[in-house]
Amino acid sequence: MSVTVIAFLLLYYVAVLGIGYWAMRRGAGEDLEGYLLGGRKIGPMTTALTLQSTSMSGYMFLGAGGLGFAQGYWALWYAAGDIGGGVLNLSVIGRRMRKLSQMMGALTAIEYLEKRYPSPLVRLFGGTLTVFLLGFYALAQFIAGGKGMALVTGIPYPLALAIAVAVILVYTFMGGYLAVAYTDFFQSLVMLFGVLWIVVAALSELGGLTAANNAIGALDPTLLGVWGRDMGFEGQWGVVAGALLIFSVGYMGWPHVVTRHMAMTEPATARSAGVYATVWNLFFVPAPYLVGILAILILPVIEDPEMAIFQVAARLLPGAVTGLVMAAIMAAIMSTADSLLLQTGSIASRDLYERFINPEASEKQMVWVSRGLVCAIAAVGYLVALFEPPSVFGVVIFATSVLGSAFLPAYVCAVWWPKANTPGALTSMIAGASVSFIWELADLTATTEIAPMLAGVLASTVTMIVVSLATQRIAPVPEHIRVALGVAGSAGPIPAGYLAATDFALGPEAAEIAQAVNGNEQRHE
Amino acid sequence: MFGLPPETALLVFGFPVFWILYTIGFLYVSRRWRRESGDDSS
Repeated sequence: MSVTVIAFLLLYYVAVLGIGYWAMRRGAGEDLEGYLLGGRKIGPMTTALTLQSTSMSGYMFLGAGGLGFAQGYWALWYAAGDIGGGVLNLSVIGRRMRKLSQMMGALTAIEYLEKRYPSPLVRLFGGTLTVFLLGFYALAQFIAGGKGMALVTGIPYPLALAIAVAVILVYTFMGGYLAVAYTDFFQSLVMLFGVLWIVVAALSELGGLTAANNAIGALDPTLLGVWGRDMGFEGQWGVVAGALLIFSVGYMGWPHVVTRHMAMTEPATARSAGVYATVWNLFFVPAPYLVGILAILILPVIEDPEMAIFQVAARLLPGAVTGLVMAAIMAAIMSTADSLLLQTGSIASRDLYERFINPEASEKQMVWVSRGLVCAIAAVGYLVALFEPPSVFGVVIFATSVLGSAFLPAYVCAVWWPKANTPGALTSMIAGASVSFIWELADLTATTEIAPMLAGVLASTVTMIVVSLATQRIAPVPEHIRVALGVAGSAGPIPAGYLAATDFALGPEAAEIAQAVNGNEQRHE
Repeated sequence: MFGLPPETALLVFGFPVFWILYTIGFLYVSRRWRRESGDDSS
């Protein structure tokens, strides 16, 4: 056990908790909008970095490194899409979703879907699916945190896991979204610094990139190619398309990520945030894959490829720097885990508990219900991570594929296609989730050479278009939503009348939704 | 380039260049967004 590594980790945890405490002092937990969206006061740089660090997760240090180690440069297909994920997300739905969510008074990504596609079924299905998948996704972060800390510090896995989960819980409770956003900002910088340090150390050890590639080519030339080890993926364009899509287009279907748009200071924040996201991604995204590839030379034999980056760091870096890098890895894990927990708790409390169980809940009650649910989910996640830990790569790919497949057309069409209606959105979510879930479960990629993400997105997109067009007469898009879409798409600020008329929605809005479902659409004028 | 086959070099360097161009294009297309709500520098 290295005392230096533990000292750096403690320093890092104290810094993160300090930021969480500061966010709490700013009043983030005083009302529901403050707790769930940071009062919609998040600027462009913080928006970009919270969006990126939330998206990246422990996957980047375990899954990405392991993939690079196992498949060589083929792994870069994932990075190729991922680099543009942030700017694509912000440019396509950022500004319009920020406007619409405020006009409709939505505080969670699932609530927003119900306001856009009025039906309790949209919220029930979307909320249940999201709670299940985000909880599962959070589990992967716990495992990553526990494994990584146990390896580098020598602390037993159960204790390491408990420490990681406890720190995440404490600062998520303290300040809600504001704490998550500002700690993400800090953690994204730590992540970038840490991974670039490992890259530089690995390249120095191997005599530069060209020398390293020559050495890898001498070991196995297929590792330098674009089709993977032993050309295992040769001609499998369906799998390549899935790798490109999952972390680029797929982001737009992840509720915990699109929430970032709703919390922006103003719609135009998306513009600068897109630039910051691309700059950060260019430096960060390829690095973990590259370290995994270089680990082929540095660690010729390794028991668990997902630990490649940890082992490279432990082998090449001095104790103090390893502590810093370990903090970076924990930053990636925690910045995603806290967002997942907050979103899971928010959706479970607001979209399921308040909407379907106790519509009269006060805002204070809701904050505490959300915190209670976060605690319960973390406890279940801890127990599963302790006794039956699955692979981080497998869990992340599964959860993100199903999320992206289910929600991508629903979120994109919500802002761009006025004909997208409730039956179209509901069947699209069901079709996307079912197809990608079955694809994963039955391992249809092996026989079809098509990734679950691609199959799921195709199914949900086609369903959205066909069903929406076929049901325009029986389920037309309510007039107030058509008007809101026009306002969201037009230049200029949201008209004052709209803001005034929708302020009520910060309180319980079940009555308005029920009216809309029953065909008595309430116009917001 | 850097000891990589041409198609791998295209994968490694071509996609980042594409996303840089996309970001520049996005900045150009969205140049009027600032006027919607004044200051965007928060």
